[in-house]
Amino acid sequence: MDTFEPLILVYTCYWCSYTAADLAGTSRIQYPPNVRIIRVQCSGMVHPNLVIDALTNGADGVLMCGCHPGDCHYLEGNLRAKSRADAIDLMLADFALEPERFRLEWVAASEGPRFAQVMTNMVEQVRKVGPSPYK
Amino acid sequence: MPVKVAQEWFAICGGCEVTVLDVGEPLLDLLPELEFVHMPVIMDHKLFGQTGENTQADIPEADVGILTGGVRNEENKHLAELMRSRVNTLIAMGSCACYGGIPALANQLMTEEIYERVYRGNSTTDPGATPKGPIPALLDRVYALDEVVKVDIKLPGCPTTPDMFTAAVLHLLKGTPFALSTKSVCDECPTIREKKAVSTLKRPLESVAGVGDDLKTVRCFMEQGFLCQGPATRGGCGGMEGGVPRCVRAYMPCRGCYGPLSDTANPMVDMMGALATIGLDPKQIPDRAAQFNRFAGSNGRLRVLPKR
Repeated sequence: MDTFEPLILVYTCYWCSYTAADLAGTSRIQYPPNVRIIRVQCSGMVHPNLVIDALTNGADGVLMCGCHPGDCHYLEGNLRAKSRADAIDLMLADFALEPERFRLEWVAASEGPRFAQVMTNMVEQVRKVGPSPYK
Repeated sequence: MPVKVAQEWFAICGGCEVTVLDVGEPLLDLLPELEFVHMPVIMDHKLFGQTGENTQADIPEADVGILTGGVRNEENKHLAELMRSRVNTLIAMGSCACYGGIPALANQLMTEEIYERVYRGNSTTDPGATPKGPIPALLDRVYALDEVVKVDIKLPGCPTTPDMFTAAVLHLLKGTPFALSTKSVCDECPTIREKKAVSTLKRPLESVAGVGDDLKTVRCFMEQGFLCQGPATRGGCGGMEGGVPRCVRAYMPCRGCYGPLSDTANPMVDMMGALATIGLDPKQIPDRAAQFNRFAGSNGRLRVLPKR
């Protein structure tokens, strides 16, 4: 199990979380290279289909990052992301997936260090759970 | 020369066979061009010969094979493979053959659990041992036909519409390709959508508001708080020209019998996403897996979950 390197798909919103990733990069903050970042316009556009498809086709974990509640560029896109995340949390059980494989986090544009922290936590969390049963 | 048709039925109620009779007058025009060589529901043609003289089951060669029902036991599987080897074009008719249908709800249980429930855990049945005997053994789950053999045409629906059956046969006779609708039930539904959030769920036994009114003046059933599976269900049940969906015509929400919009889609994920998006608390939805995969339980959509 020591050699297991989890593959984490990260959806980041254009306005906050991706900018935070940018900031983490320009600040030269180190975080594990297991994450693959996909920039989307808003966390509210990440349909549960995308998350479930990723988890059942080889990703070990999926992380959704959006602006803090109240800060959404589109007013309430992140609230929609929250209710979709609740639905995803329920559905993980129907696909025999562990709840640790999916997480929703709020990361603001100025939170570069926090972005790196969240990535590190998620990678460690999924590393403990082990490889996806769909691999 | 008439086209030879062979038909066989598996795990099914028989409703799709009734659809063939339900075609009505167009059937009279079709009949001279069709010759049924094997069809247990209407004719006496036995698999082992008329007096049981053969030792191997056989189905006569035919141009078109129609199979209804999911593949539930060893016999179904054998006959499906036999039928495939005897016909040129194979039609999977009905949602059971296409997606497992209602029998595939059993895919959530182990076979042993099913036996336990049926023969011992049922309050109206005297408990007894699981019968053993010269009957075909159950497979581990209900399979859709295309998981077992190659299928050329799928006609979903519970039951499939006479319209769609006729269209498929006419396309076959003419040699033109037949394609299912790629629209969803919502695309064909005439009710009014106001895109307002829903907060509470109503039970299907409560009546929809506006029963009897012109459907163009009735509010979308989902927005009224009923679980309507229109967004995640293939359209076409209202007829090949895109008529009003059958259940909506009767002021009932869609139950999803035409199956998912694509073979790889999972209606549960689609529906949970759609409901969460319009503001419904996903925890309110009872038995979501079976609720939304009621007619599409094969292909791994419904399965035994590991105990935690």
